[in-house]
Amino acid sequence: MGKQILITRATEMPDIPISLGNMEWNKTGTWRAQRPFYEDKTPPCNAACPAGNDIVAFIQKITQGDFEEAWNLIKEENPFPGVCGRVCFHPCESKCNRGSYDEPVAIHALERFVADFVSRLAKKTEKVSAEQRGKVAIIGSGPAGLSCAYHLAKLRYSVTVFESFSLAGGVLRTGIPSYRLPKDVLDEEISSIEALGVEIHTGVVIGEEIRIEELKDYQAIFIGTGAHQSRVLNIPGEKGRGVFSGLDLLEKVNLDGKVKIGENVAIIGGGNTAIDVARSVIRLGKKATILYRRSKEEMPAFEGEIVEALEEGVRIRYLVNPIRIQQKESLKRLECLRMVLGEKDESGRRKPVPIPNSNFFVEMDSVIIAAGEEIETSFLPRGIGKKEGIVLTQMDGKTTAEGIFAGGDLTSNQRTVAHAIGSGKKAAMAIDCYLKGNDSEGAIRQILVGNGPSISIFKYLHPGERPRNSHLVTFEELNMDYFEPSRREKEPKRSPKERIKKIVEVTSTLTENAVLREAERCFSCGTCNECENCYIFCPDASISKKGKEISHQVDYDFCKGCGICFVECPRRAISLEEEAR
Amino acid sequence: MKKVITGNQAVAYGAILSRVDVISAYPITPQTTIVEELSELVASGRLNTKFLKVESEHSAMAALIGASTGGVRCFTATSSHGLAYMHEMLHWASGARLPIVMVNVNRALGPGWNIWSDQTDSLSQRDTGWIQLYCENNQEVLDTILQAYRIAESVKLPVMVVLDAFVLSHTSEAVEIPAMEEVDKFLPPCCLEYTIGTQESVAFSVITTPEYFFEFRYKIQKAMEQVPGIAKNVDDEFRSWFGRGYGAIERYGKEEAEVLLMTSGTVTSTSRIVIQKLVQKGYGVAGIKIKRFRPFPSEEIREAMKGAKKLAVIDRNLSVGIGGIFAQELRASLYSGEERPQVFGFVSGLGGRDITPELIEEAIQYTWEHRQPEEDILWLGLRK
Repeated sequence: MGKQILITRATEMPDIPISLGNMEWNKTGTWRAQRPFYEDKTPPCNAACPAGNDIVAFIQKITQGDFEEAWNLIKEENPFPGVCGRVCFHPCESKCNRGSYDEPVAIHALERFVADFVSRLAKKTEKVSAEQRGKVAIIGSGPAGLSCAYHLAKLRYSVTVFESFSLAGGVLRTGIPSYRLPKDVLDEEISSIEALGVEIHTGVVIGEEIRIEELKDYQAIFIGTGAHQSRVLNIPGEKGRGVFSGLDLLEKVNLDGKVKIGENVAIIGGGNTAIDVARSVIRLGKKATILYRRSKEEMPAFEGEIVEALEEGVRIRYLVNPIRIQQKESLKRLECLRMVLGEKDESGRRKPVPIPNSNFFVEMDSVIIAAGEEIETSFLPRGIGKKEGIVLTQMDGKTTAEGIFAGGDLTSNQRTVAHAIGSGKKAAMAIDCYLKGNDSEGAIRQILVGNGPSISIFKYLHPGERPRNSHLVTFEELNMDYFEPSRREKEPKRSPKERIKKIVEVTSTLTENAVLREAERCFSCGTCNECENCYIFCPDASISKKGKEISHQVDYDFCKGCGICFVECPRRAISLEEEAR
Repeated sequence: MKKVITGNQAVAYGAILSRVDVISAYPITPQTTIVEELSELVASGRLNTKFLKVESEHSAMAALIGASTGGVRCFTATSSHGLAYMHEMLHWASGARLPIVMVNVNRALGPGWNIWSDQTDSLSQRDTGWIQLYCENNQEVLDTILQAYRIAESVKLPVMVVLDAFVLSHTSEAVEIPAMEEVDKFLPPCCLEYTIGTQESVAFSVITTPEYFFEFRYKIQKAMEQVPGIAKNVDDEFRSWFGRGYGAIERYGKEEAEVLLMTSGTVTSTSRIVIQKLVQKGYGVAGIKIKRFRPFPSEEIREAMKGAKKLAVIDRNLSVGIGGIFAQELRASLYSGEERPQVFGFVSGLGGRDITPELIEEAIQYTWEHRQPEEDILWLGLRK
């Protein structure tokens, strides 16, 4: 207790009842029945990112204007911010809690800006130091293979990538048109992977020049060869002249920049490949008509892409199923059936049923089949299990063959770039465990983002750092008193006329000001961003600012456990638990 | 600079010229235009003052108690129900010896719902330890606010400046607005002995046991007792700067008067005409305007009423169960004196009913004609 002042008369007293000593002797913390504590939790965007990006963390860096650090945070988990900022279907945004309030944060646009900003700085990735731990071969230089290579290189393995095409990038190069992903963005991110010491041998077809079994120098092998076989329709005439597969066309356009094709082009299919093909055809100056056997609602292609395709002049005919392709001089004559939608099938979509005797004919100069892709398995060594069109793997990417791992489209039907990047990363970590003789599945459980399936390799490399409770923060747990509605920033889009004239990106990167505004929209779910509400509201002045690493802490000597900090934290970065005594 | 402004605008000028640091207020008719004027000035950046939006008058005063504890000059304004809602915090402000200045625009308390002038709201707060100053016109409103800060900051007690609803608040008059630099010379920045801050640990308004509480109340009374002297000095100084002064009370009319009429607020303006007329007719009558209600100016009144036989008091307020509050206070303060004239307690104009020259004359005539009042409460203008 402080000094006591003995006063015997009014004239000796101050004017007001005041204590000039301090009250620190009175440890009111003993009154506490519940205890608040700072605990970052998992935002739904992070958990939804198949690549395992720490989205909330990089957005926070953006709000601080530290774009380079934001880039570093993305690159911890994902070597492709420029690619993902453009082509990822951003499941993070559909889970964004802001979507329950006004519109989700434009996470992809932020990622894209950061990638472009840092690329302007000409930031060079440092080669990882000498001491190499072992040699790993990677087959396929798509997003899965290169993600695996990147993380293995950072784990200090010597990595060699084999690519059958003349240029690296896999589906990012051959399958995705330049109007969505400019080649220089891809080239730059691939060279930053090479800068780590990864060797990429292009033009090497595994299974022809070398067989997988011959890669004896390597302690482990990762296969990420994707799904490059166009699915056949099994209709008469599909092997005829002037009939291409969608992937072939995209490959030719992407690698050679040109392709010989007729004036009127039919594209059969309704997925993203069909849309990519149709829009590429339009850019070649030809007319594109998509023939799809179901209706618009069932189309697997992304809504935004369909809208853009229509803007550019692509025609889509629904409920049409070609059953025969006939050659008529240089023309192709497609015999089609009209369809109706019947019961739901196993994909949950309504099944198309042919209308009897509804046969009609469509005349086209070229026909492109884009009805889905399958994996190529002929080169795989014996002993690798397959099921339902994919290579079987365990959760860590292990195949049934010793020392062989696989990922990407080869092992999954969720055929997205982000899933491929995530699977490559997971395999890199699993290969590290395998070569060290550690239990990789146990390790994976330690480093899940939220409850998985994505993983954080940062957690693997830095156990205990930047801890996050796996609890996913819900919208209801946020305190909306501290947010105001605001409009989502939209990436500027070129007019359809302008974008089909030459191959330019359809959208452009947000400006710095727009990015700063957009980043401010992030609720920072479950993640303290030092808004200081707790500090301001604590009636016991028991929140102190600590330092750089941990921004705030509770002074339990005085905290009475009123819970105001917990309630007033707009983002649930504070937890409250019953006091154990 | 002379401007034609309403009483509420005069209030806003008073606050601006006093360079108040923090304003916190909640709107209520007829005070609303004060808050509108000030908040717009703050919002437009023309007034460099922290304006705290609050959800109630209780919070408005609580916020100012916090701000004032920090040593800055604080201002608020309210009326009627708003003032009643503040009641708890009024005690706190005076108990904590904070020199807050508040304007109250007199308005009746409901029900029946009524927004017109009636002093019962402010007079109900007479025991909260606030100095209370009543104003007769818009010029006095402005000047009184400037004086109020000087008084409040000298004795460390809060001041309530009071004006009538509509008759002043929404009525325009010519008002001389003193220049900022002149006011700055009259009213230096405020300075408190103890203020809350981040440098030292000081706990304010801590628990005070029976051993000490009594003495603190004694000290507040002693501070209140200093007010007449200090207020007189402030008023004299004000007069020397600006050429205007008001005193705690003002006596006007015949020097040797048999009947004195006591009024407060705007009724005084009307009374001045009636008294003048009666004096011209040869009546020995005079008026006393009471400006300061707390501390009650007993000494000044005793001095001013020497020789008078009867005192007529017009109260635009009612303490149910006893009568007009000014009359009651007057009786209590006269009792210990040597001269104890008869007090005629008139209650009139409740809920904003006009107190006309005819009614005032009627009150004076009644007093003139009766040796003593027939009733404790004389209802003036009541339709029985």
